[in-house]
Amino acid sequence: MLVAGLYAAMSYGLALIYGVLKIINLANAGFLMLGAYVTWWLFTAFHVHPLLAPLAIVPLFFLFGSALERTLVRRVLGAEPIISLLLLFGVWLVLQNLAYVIWTGDTRSIDTPFIDATVSVAGMQLAVPRLYVFAMGVLVLVGLQLFLTRTYLGRAIRATAQDRDAARLVGVDVERVNGIAFGIGIALAGFGGSLLSLLFSFTPDFGRTLSLKSFCIVVLGGLDSIVGVAFGALSLSLAEAFGVRYMPASLQNLISFVVLVVVLIVLPKGIVGTLRALRRG
Amino acid sequence: MDRRTASLAACGVALAAAIAVPFVASRAEYVLDVLFLVFLYGAMATAWNLLGGFAGQVSFGHAAFLGIGAYTTAILTQLGISLWIAVPAGALLAGAFSLVIGIPAFRLRGPYFSIATIGIGEATRLIALNWTSLTGGASGLTLATAPPLIVQYFAALALCVVSVALAAWIKVSRFGYALAAIRQDPDAAETLGVATTVAKTQALFLSACLLGVAGSIYALHYLFISPDSVFGFGTSIGLVIMPIIGGLGTVTGPLLGAVVYTFIREQLAATLANADLLAFGLLLIAIVVFEPRGILGIIDRVRSGKKPPPEIAAVGDG
Repeated sequence: MLVAGLYAAMSYGLALIYGVLKIINLANAGFLMLGAYVTWWLFTAFHVHPLLAPLAIVPLFFLFGSALERTLVRRVLGAEPIISLLLLFGVWLVLQNLAYVIWTGDTRSIDTPFIDATVSVAGMQLAVPRLYVFAMGVLVLVGLQLFLTRTYLGRAIRATAQDRDAARLVGVDVERVNGIAFGIGIALAGFGGSLLSLLFSFTPDFGRTLSLKSFCIVVLGGLDSIVGVAFGALSLSLAEAFGVRYMPASLQNLISFVVLVVVLIVLPKGIVGTLRALRRG
Repeated sequence: MDRRTASLAACGVALAAAIAVPFVASRAEYVLDVLFLVFLYGAMATAWNLLGGFAGQVSFGHAAFLGIGAYTTAILTQLGISLWIAVPAGALLAGAFSLVIGIPAFRLRGPYFSIATIGIGEATRLIALNWTSLTGGASGLTLATAPPLIVQYFAALALCVVSVALAAWIKVSRFGYALAAIRQDPDAAETLGVATTVAKTQALFLSACLLGVAGSIYALHYLFISPDSVFGFGTSIGLVIMPIIGGLGTVTGPLLGAVVYTFIREQLAATLANADLLAFGLLLIAIVVFEPRGILGIIDRVRSGKKPPPEIAAVGDG
């Protein structure tokens, strides 16, 4: 269940980008994977402790994301949704296969004493990295909420997400907000990937399953709500934890797909959206 | 000679050439092998295009239908059942499966449908991987005997011709206009009396049946299938990319895309692992940004004499 922190961390960016730009970032998987590889690469080549890697990854991915928005994504924002989906699908293919070419398809993992450490809490043996990742998931949630509600930029982002034209009318530089939001979204994906490398071994292809889980979480949470994402992450990890008791572990990934498809169909507004609608009566 | 007669004549010449190839080509084995792939991929891309291009419902999970066709044929022939029964059974099973997933999935629109299809594709792959008693799991299935290459060649050619003819017919039929209306604006289409869900489901069904047959031919050609080959995400990616390269929602575009796709794969697959997919990713980005109508769009621009943007001019110069 502690894996919820990871699930949340890797999905915030997806929700943020959808909220502001109204496009689905299919390349999320690619950036997750890249975040994990950069962490691994910094660790093996420069002996940078994996916990420090995000210090480099977050700004780097932010710049990369903003640049990507400026050069490519901006051109397709006005087009049909399917065009941006295909564009980001292309970006994902490029990232994934670039990783194959650079790092080959071998399975990588990071091995430090930290990774194997455990603590006992109330008689349960808990893995330290899992606790850490969970804490980070919560921390990012709090940080993002503070950023979005307390700073000018955060408010501008929320204003743009709510009503682009109205935001422009009151003097928000919507184009700049787009770039920044996309950059933050990519930075969050990179951060999620970096956390991920602490828990799992990975290949260039591994982002796909996890990305589907992200979609599942974001849809559960209602696509543009950061709190909803945390809630969706918790629900999915619970569903998986219980599901594993009743089916072989190799089918664990099926759970998220089934949840995804069922939720998309039954609750198209997500849990949070449905609750909101119910409250309004 | 008007345009219609001209294009019919061009099709006739191309078909006659395709039929003559096995009898006149030197190095017939290699030529047949490449052309076989072009026709098979062409049929697959055309099938995907019925839903993804005509109706604008981009599916990232179409490998599921190819896989079902391939596995049905492989399993039935292992039981000693004739191909005349096994191949149609594969097509029908793929079609039946498309109805099972289509009815819920079409409650979703556009990008949401696309994401759900990634989930459907992955789910079918995982099921094929884990249902070991039926599918042999990760170790796959091996077929005992295959028809000679020339029979496979004509089967792929026939499937390709049927798919393209079907696409050409749908394009100008009432059904085709309904699909085009759905692509442009589902709400307006519904208001105008198009039964959108029914039309989309019909397009998906046809698409799935054609892919089911393609899967059977695939299995008979390679004699070995595994969940990662026929159900794999790479297969679904190829199905999306070919029509986009050629021209989304056109009749001949997917075929052109299949030629380019096969060529790039042949050139790059041997050099560096995954270099082909890298190239397709770059190509996809370039097409979406510069000319979403694909090769046919570029041809159109050149013909109408519009000044192409510098990127495309550069390609033309080189």
